[in-house]
Amino acid sequence: MSRTDAVTRILFEAFPTAEVRLFYALGYTAIGIFCWGVYVQIRKYRRGTALALEGSLWSRAGGMVAQVFSHRTVNRRDHAAGGAHRLIFYGFVLLFLGTATITLQYDILEPLFGIRFWQGEFYLIFSLVLDIAGIALLVGLVYMMYRRGWLKLPKLDYARTDRALGDPDFLRPEYRREDWAFLWTLVIIGCTGFLLEAARLVWLHARPDVWDTRWWSPVGAAVAQALEAVGLTAHGGAVLRLSLWWFHGLLALTFIALIPFTKVKHIFTSAASLMVRDPKAAQRLTRIPATQETPGVAKITDFTWKQLLNLDACTKCGRCHEACPARAVGAPLSPRDVILSLREFANAALESGSLPPAAELGVHGKSPGQVSMETLWSCRTCMACVEICPVAVEHVPIIVQMRRKLVEDGDMDPLLTKTLQTIHKTGNSFGESKRKRGSWTKSLPFKVKDARKEPVDLLWFVGDYASFDPRNQKVTQIFATLLHEAGVDFGILYDGESNAGNDVRRVGEEGLYEVLAESNIASLAAATFKSIVTTDPHSYNTILNEYPDFGGKYPIQHYTSLLKQLFMDGNLKVTRPLALKTTFHDPCHLGRFNKGYEAPREVLRLLGCQLIDMKRCRDNSFCCGAGGGRIWIPDPVGSEKPAQNRMREAAAIPGLEVYVVSCPKDLTMFEDALKTTGNEGKFVVKELIELVREAVSAPEIPAVPA
Amino acid sequence: MKILIAVKQVAALDEDFEIREDGRDVEAEFLIRDLNEWDDYSLEEAVKIKEASSGPVEVVVVSVAPEEADEALRKCLAKGADRALRIWDDAMEGSDPIAIARVLAAAAKAEAPDMLFAGVQSSDQTFASTGIATAAFLGWPHAAVVSSLDYAPGAKSAVFRRELEGGLLQEVEIQCPAVLTIQLGINTPRYASLRSIKQAAAKPVEVKTLADLKLSAGEVGESGSHSRIRRMYIPDKGQAQLIEGDAAAKARRLAEIIREFKGDAA
Repeated sequence: MSRTDAVTRILFEAFPTAEVRLFYALGYTAIGIFCWGVYVQIRKYRRGTALALEGSLWSRAGGMVAQVFSHRTVNRRDHAAGGAHRLIFYGFVLLFLGTATITLQYDILEPLFGIRFWQGEFYLIFSLVLDIAGIALLVGLVYMMYRRGWLKLPKLDYARTDRALGDPDFLRPEYRREDWAFLWTLVIIGCTGFLLEAARLVWLHARPDVWDTRWWSPVGAAVAQALEAVGLTAHGGAVLRLSLWWFHGLLALTFIALIPFTKVKHIFTSAASLMVRDPKAAQRLTRIPATQETPGVAKITDFTWKQLLNLDACTKCGRCHEACPARAVGAPLSPRDVILSLREFANAALESGSLPPAAELGVHGKSPGQVSMETLWSCRTCMACVEICPVAVEHVPIIVQMRRKLVEDGDMDPLLTKTLQTIHKTGNSFGESKRKRGSWTKSLPFKVKDARKEPVDLLWFVGDYASFDPRNQKVTQIFATLLHEAGVDFGILYDGESNAGNDVRRVGEEGLYEVLAESNIASLAAATFKSIVTTDPHSYNTILNEYPDFGGKYPIQHYTSLLKQLFMDGNLKVTRPLALKTTFHDPCHLGRFNKGYEAPREVLRLLGCQLIDMKRCRDNSFCCGAGGGRIWIPDPVGSEKPAQNRMREAAAIPGLEVYVVSCPKDLTMFEDALKTTGNEGKFVVKELIELVREAVSAPEIPAVPA
Repeated sequence: MKILIAVKQVAALDEDFEIREDGRDVEAEFLIRDLNEWDDYSLEEAVKIKEASSGPVEVVVVSVAPEEADEALRKCLAKGADRALRIWDDAMEGSDPIAIARVLAAAAKAEAPDMLFAGVQSSDQTFASTGIATAAFLGWPHAAVVSSLDYAPGAKSAVFRRELEGGLLQEVEIQCPAVLTIQLGINTPRYASLRSIKQAAAKPVEVKTLADLKLSAGEVGESGSHSRIRRMYIPDKGQAQLIEGDAAAKARRLAEIIREFKGDAA
């Protein structure tokens, strides 16, 4: 045996047996409390409704592990916090593995099998790695303190947008206290760990196997030399070591015991939430089970166990708060606060041994823990919150479930009530006659096929706005002309088409959505076509993602990818390149919902346009404010509208000529906002289709021979 | 306690409608049918009274119409009516509001409600007489165009307000049972979710015939009516044009038009 082979740390060295026993007793107590806490939390989630997960548990677990270890989601849009969290996470994992290694040897392998491996070179490398892990942990924690204490980021301000000063849950200082307690506890555990290491070195300075190998724990060694420099003796080191040992140990055990009861539980709940993530949570809302008596969520126990878990997964990181367009314009909604409010409600109502009476479980209202209808109706279901949440909290389905209850009770804006009645009566939100749905075709110089009467290659699902809104009708006619010129065999459903229902569903009127979806699926079933195209991202989303649940599965694309294809195949040719300075607005339902970021940009490039993206683009695109049925609900007078907020962002691009949209509702919203923000004349809002028209000349019609 | 509400499924014109061959109505396929808007308010008023009442209150809707009106009746059931009653007999075809009122009065006698509501008018025919005529047949006190109401089910009397010209409000106390025709805006009708409409589709609509109400065929239809629709038509549109140019040109054009009207142009 070489000299270093014997090197190890003797656990409980110089401890009276009673103290060792005491420590084990305390350790088991801590674990007992931890287990009890875990039980209470799981019991809480189980008080939600049942939900069967799709897919195998293993692939879900694999996905979760990949997300957690790569820290991809934590890193997004906040690399500093992501980096710091990485340091904390990896530091914590290594330190945990270190402790587990010691336990494995000391409490399992050695007493049972006499196996010893925590010694020699392994021990030295172990020491080094754990010292580095400890430093990583501390650096990460100190950055987080800096972030909270000095940067004072608005997203970390817990003041609520849906409460007023004086409301009991407006400021929520307890969250702030918990954040700091969490950080300080870990910092103290880390620092006392290093001090303890140093005290042991000073105490055992005389032992060459300890002192000569001290630089394998560099932080401990440096601190030890500093302690000796200020006069700490070996005896002093022994006293310090014993007292620090207990302090450090008790603090660590307390920390473990408190995990299930504090924000520390996110290490489990966030991971579990990532594991049960539904990648289509906002794109494909769920049907109301036939067995469910009342639609939507009225009581906290009406949420699924997964949604209750989501509530606990939230780490208050504020990314959703920052991304929310409603919050950005001062509406009484922050997705974070919806989640936190419901979490407070769930913790108060569902953690005790017996379930409170149903009357005390209502989540709608203005009392602490409840969510008001003003908050719920502020949501645009733009999915910005769901998309950015690092721990897979699915806010939009939670909000829509709560809206379903509001709709059932008729608690909504009178104009929205009227619109829903209109859609039920006429099949469109404009209150126009069904017969007029295809009227825009009348002035075209060619006939648009009725796909119900003759087979077509491409079925064009036009949608409400593109069919009835006069401004959008012009775009619709241009698109029809482009298809005609490109030789595409296409047709429409005429009065067989109804509102696709995407926004009706997001309003929470599930019954009406069912009627619309079933009616459109019946019309589609009566037509012969190979695939569907639509200019409306809302229709695109619901047909693509939601109609399959009603038996309607179709290949469908948004027009942007069809145009790209037509250019690629040479069926459309750019004859007049446009040297325009443009920016592109990603529609929520095309971009964030369905990842259609590239096709429109490629078309713009093909047209010769210069594209300057706004800061909020692609997955962080800023909703025009029309989604989730908000286009049917008037915005409060005097407050900024999301579309205006967006126009101001675009106006900051120097020399911008065209703000390009690819969604009928965007055209309506932004042309209005262009005027109301006083940017008219500075740049214009145009449909991508209109730019394509400008760049592509109509084919020459051969002159009739004389 | 019981409140009876007379309702009607009205027709609205679709785009490009055509007049029926006999010239007395619009061709049915160009009509979009829905519950009369006023009835939405009278039903809501009754449901609100029911919800505010401590004792049991039955809200019953009644319509004199063929089977197609079941849709409107089911909508009433979805919005909170307890029972729906439809009275029809082919002999009722061509009934004027008075004949309809005779049938409604017979139904009211059978139901014996504490209060009867009707809309001020129907949006398609706008006679505004069915409700009041029903009161006449019943010999009950009545009031038209009620814009707010204080009524507790079972009370001997009710107090309501009517809006008069010039911003005046008239407060009236009326003996019950009475017939009130309800004005728009008296309340905010609730939204009937499609789910509740679908659920209401499973609820029965009670159908009654002439015989059930002890009426004879001669008392309804054209023979029981005091008026009949002769024809329905779209009047010739007047026209306007803006005359442009200087004063002399305008005068010249004006003179031309006058001559054209007098028939001198030819």
